[in-house]
Amino acid sequence: MNDSVQVLTLFLFNIVLVNIPLLYGTVGEILTEKAGSLNLGVEGTMAVGAIFGYLAGCAANSISVGLAVAFLSAGLCGLLFALLTVSLQANQNVTGLTITTFGLGLYFFVGKGLGDRWPTMTACDGLVQGFAALEIPGLSRLPLVGKALFSHSPLVYLGVGIALLVWWYLTFTRPGLRLRAVGENPAAADSVGVNILLYKYVHLVAGSGIMGLGGFYMALYMSGSFEGSNCWINGYGWIAIALVIFSNWNPLLAILGTLVFGFFNTLQIYAMPLAAAFPGALGWLNSVPPHLFKALPFLITAIVLVASSIREREGSGQPAALGLNYYREER
Amino acid sequence: MNAPLFRVVKREGGGPLRLAVSYVAAVVLALLVGTVLLTLLGVPALTYYKGMFTLGIPGSRYPFKQVEGFLRLFVPLLLTSLALSLAFRMRFWNIGGEGQFTMGAIAGAAVALKLGDVFPQPLVLLLMSLAGLAAGGLYGALAAWLKVKFQTNETLMTLMLNYIALYLLRFLGETKGTWNFFLSSQSERPKFEKFPAGGQMLELSLGDFHLNLTLVAAAFICAALFVYLRYTKHGYEIAVVGDSPNTARYAGMGVGRIILRTVFLSAALIGLAGAFYVSSAGTLSTAVTNDVGWTGIVVAWLANLNTLGIVVASLLITVLQFGSQVAGTSYASIDANFADLLQGVILFAVLAADFFTRFRLVGRGRQEGLK
Repeated sequence: MNDSVQVLTLFLFNIVLVNIPLLYGTVGEILTEKAGSLNLGVEGTMAVGAIFGYLAGCAANSISVGLAVAFLSAGLCGLLFALLTVSLQANQNVTGLTITTFGLGLYFFVGKGLGDRWPTMTACDGLVQGFAALEIPGLSRLPLVGKALFSHSPLVYLGVGIALLVWWYLTFTRPGLRLRAVGENPAAADSVGVNILLYKYVHLVAGSGIMGLGGFYMALYMSGSFEGSNCWINGYGWIAIALVIFSNWNPLLAILGTLVFGFFNTLQIYAMPLAAAFPGALGWLNSVPPHLFKALPFLITAIVLVASSIREREGSGQPAALGLNYYREER
Repeated sequence: MNAPLFRVVKREGGGPLRLAVSYVAAVVLALLVGTVLLTLLGVPALTYYKGMFTLGIPGSRYPFKQVEGFLRLFVPLLLTSLALSLAFRMRFWNIGGEGQFTMGAIAGAAVALKLGDVFPQPLVLLLMSLAGLAAGGLYGALAAWLKVKFQTNETLMTLMLNYIALYLLRFLGETKGTWNFFLSSQSERPKFEKFPAGGQMLELSLGDFHLNLTLVAAAFICAALFVYLRYTKHGYEIAVVGDSPNTARYAGMGVGRIILRTVFLSAALIGLAGAFYVSSAGTLSTAVTNDVGWTGIVVAWLANLNTLGIVVASLLITVLQFGSQVAGTSYASIDANFADLLQGVILFAVLAADFFTRFRLVGRGRQEGLK
């Protein structure tokens, strides 16, 4: 029985550990989409933040340098997106997809170009220690949830903290309110004196920067081992875009959504141990194809998307001007 | 008065020359960026580019094989980009090319594996094409129907459908079972079954060169689409809906019907490209799309949705992709991802240049009646 409790604990622990980058990506994309811009470049932006954050963090042997560089390099992707779509009126879908192509291309180019000079994470104790689990006194001793929720790396709590902060910002502050107005109806916001250009640029850059932090987390989680065939981000950016819809553009729900999506994501890895630990109750897990768990986030999101459009935007958090460029002289 | 330094004014129709110049400049810029990056890695850029743009043909023992390899990448990309441009013309953002291609490929493979031995080859190929058309078309039409009926955001919907199709394909490719006729029964490990001879695309032998029939079909479809968009009632309707759905509505057009029809056609052609691809490869694979659904969007946009432009742009992108594969064989540190990088820079430059063909800047002093 002890064994099965351990499997369950580990399963719950991994739901948080493996899937926090989704939260970063999602919160970054929520901030972007609340400004009315649909940035499909999450995957590429996270990859850029991941590799440059990791390399800088290794060079400086410091996790805060890594975080800063991840934020800045990913923020540059956001700046490029803003420059092209806000100032130069380029199509948002195409620009976002190009950022993904370009970002992944850059990721592999840099990684492969470094070859043998690639720094290993074990040599950078600053990163290893910075990413080490932090046992929260008292709480982490709770049975089951103690390990799952309260003994993680500081970056896990940073992610949750950013989500809470962005939620507070969007819901209760004046700039947050103005930002939502920009996403709903930029012409109206413009007419009452909101600086559309400034709001879009700031939030698009900040949103991309947050995505980059998620990429950096992923780099550390993968122990910084570069593989030529698979990017660290491995599709998390796309799941994050789905998660934005699932969480109804609400950062608070995004925390919950990360756990739901993470549950399926981790179930696919833990199906066998779980089935072995609880043969009676969970034995059926073995007969479920892992691909179903992989597809489930997208399937659920598709259903949510249709359901919310049938309810005709009532209570929907989707910004009305999402994906539309604002051209002042056409209002 | 605090007037801005300059303001942005819409330009009436960019000249073709301005367009051509900006595109050439974009390619040159990308190559320059590439040169800097290659030099940083200590790779001689000129030699690399030479290997890339000659596609490894000179000095190859089988130059025709290189051309055939090139065309194998080119045909799916051309067809997909052409098809996507149909939907984009109506501002229907079909980013579900990956999913539609996958569905077409699965349907085509199912026909090939089930009927490849039963019917004569031309009939099997015809049935495969029809299955690809139907599967891709219906998969795309689902998103179009939801858009017309409930205003469901088609960008996000087609994006989700891509991944559902992808995992369906992986499921078929990695799950052993008596029901799963997609997998080879001989192999221990899950492996896609090779098509029987009837399911393999016809090739015309011209000396040493084997001309895959899908190239001929793609050329024909390209010409047909050109005529369809330019000279038919349907083409006119697409143009009006793309310009302004409200105008179309006032003119008495059934906008929903036009969207459904056009998206079905767009997605069906992508499905056909998928069926063509598997019949040329002779088997299914989990990487069957080769990202053509994404790259097709880039190509369609590079070409400004112009049919002939798409031919040129997909040639260019295929040269980058195939060429970087070829040139990369001599340098361990660079692979096909270098093409993605160049492709990204080209598109960024074109997107930026587009602005100056669509708008112009008017300086503060040039405002009428103001100084």
